[in-house]
Amino acid sequence: MSGDRKSPLDGNLVKVVFPLLVILAPLGLSVIGAVSAGDPGAEEPFLELPPEPNEGCVRDAEFMRFHHWELLREVRDQVVRGGGRHEISLDRCRSCHPSRERFCSRCHEAVSLQPDCFGCHYYPADPAAAVDHARAGR
Amino acid sequence: MDRRKFLKTGGRFLAATPFACDLLVASVASASGPGAGRWGMVIDLRRCPEGCDACVKACRRENNVAEHGDPRWDVHWIRQVEIRPHGQEDAPTRTVPLLCNHCERPPCAQVCPVRATYQRDDGIVIVDHHRCIGCRYCLIACPYNARFFNYRENEAWPNKDYPKRSHGVAESCHLCAHRLDQGRLPACMEACRDAGAGAIVVGDLDNPESEISRLIAANSVKRIREDLGTGPKVHYIGL
Ligand code: SF4
Ligand code: SF4
Repeated sequence: MSGDRKSPLDGNLVKVVFPLLVILAPLGLSVIGAVSAGDPGAEEPFLELPPEPNEGCVRDAEFMRFHHWELLREVRDQVVRGGGRHEISLDRCRSCHPSRERFCSRCHEAVSLQPDCFGCHYYPADPAAAVDHARAGR
Repeated sequence: MDRRKFLKTGGRFLAATPFACDLLVASVASASGPGAGRWGMVIDLRRCPEGCDACVKACRRENNVAEHGDPRWDVHWIRQVEIRPHGQEDAPTRTVPLLCNHCERPPCAQVCPVRATYQRDDGIVIVDHHRCIGCRYCLIACPYNARFFNYRENEAWPNKDYPKRSHGVAESCHLCAHRLDQGRLPACMEACRDAGAGAIVVGDLDNPESEISRLIAANSVKRIREDLGTGPKVHYIGL
């Protein structure tokens, strides 16, 4: 009796394992590919760091990494609702992080964030544009 | 955790949350707090030369006011408007600069559902563009047609030191609040002086010694549609 009954595994092999392979194979291949290609960040840091790290930044790097947006939001509300509009400017951020593309955008893109600060606030993606702006005498 | 303990812990947490922003913002409280006065404007039309639009140009440049070349989309903070006496079609027209009157009782702020439009302590009516949801109630409420809406993105950015506005928010003259906070004159007033006309004077209405108060005291001034009860703060001489 047990002889003519097929093992449940035999039927499922085709039904389950094969499709599973088809699904998982590309994933596995991409992981292997990524690992074998090496970490591109090894030569160049993920973010363009300032020449003097944390010299004169408003907060330490750890705080800025995780809370800069809260700080910006709070200061924004203070400045916009409380007045004193000239007291703060992104210029101060830009003096250490001249390239928005190689600093802000790297993380924002990696985590699929699209903060729309820069539609209205000047922070050029490319520092060359900022130099032009400074040269133009504002 | 009982309710009392929860609230206590929460309170402690909240107290720790505000990051002391002293480093970033040096003296916000003093910049426009009470006592900063009550800003108003006088426009002496007798000194406005024919065809002059120095104030309009300066405002556009200073505040990155959008000009798309299509009257449907153009934004104006100050504009030259041709007026003639009511009901007299053949009367000669005259040109008058019109802008937000920074009303004492601003209808635009009253209708704003999210309080994006608000009145500062110094009387300036201003939009917090971060908060504006683009409902355009204020455009309807303003009896002076001083509010404009950014129907499209504005690419021109002549003054990089001042933000521009993305599409989807309302805006109007804010009396160059960013300049006044720095102790500088509004761009229109500066340009008007530089053009040799000196027709625009912005100053503190509460201070009887200020130039604007003396001008108002010495001349017969008119405000537009005073009957509406909005308390406009732009005064015209020679209207
Ligand atoms: S003139 Fe219009 S936009 Fe300006 S404060 Fe008065 S109601 Fe508001
Ligand atoms: S358009 Fe913006 S500022 Fe005007 S009423 Fe609506 S939310 Fe307020």
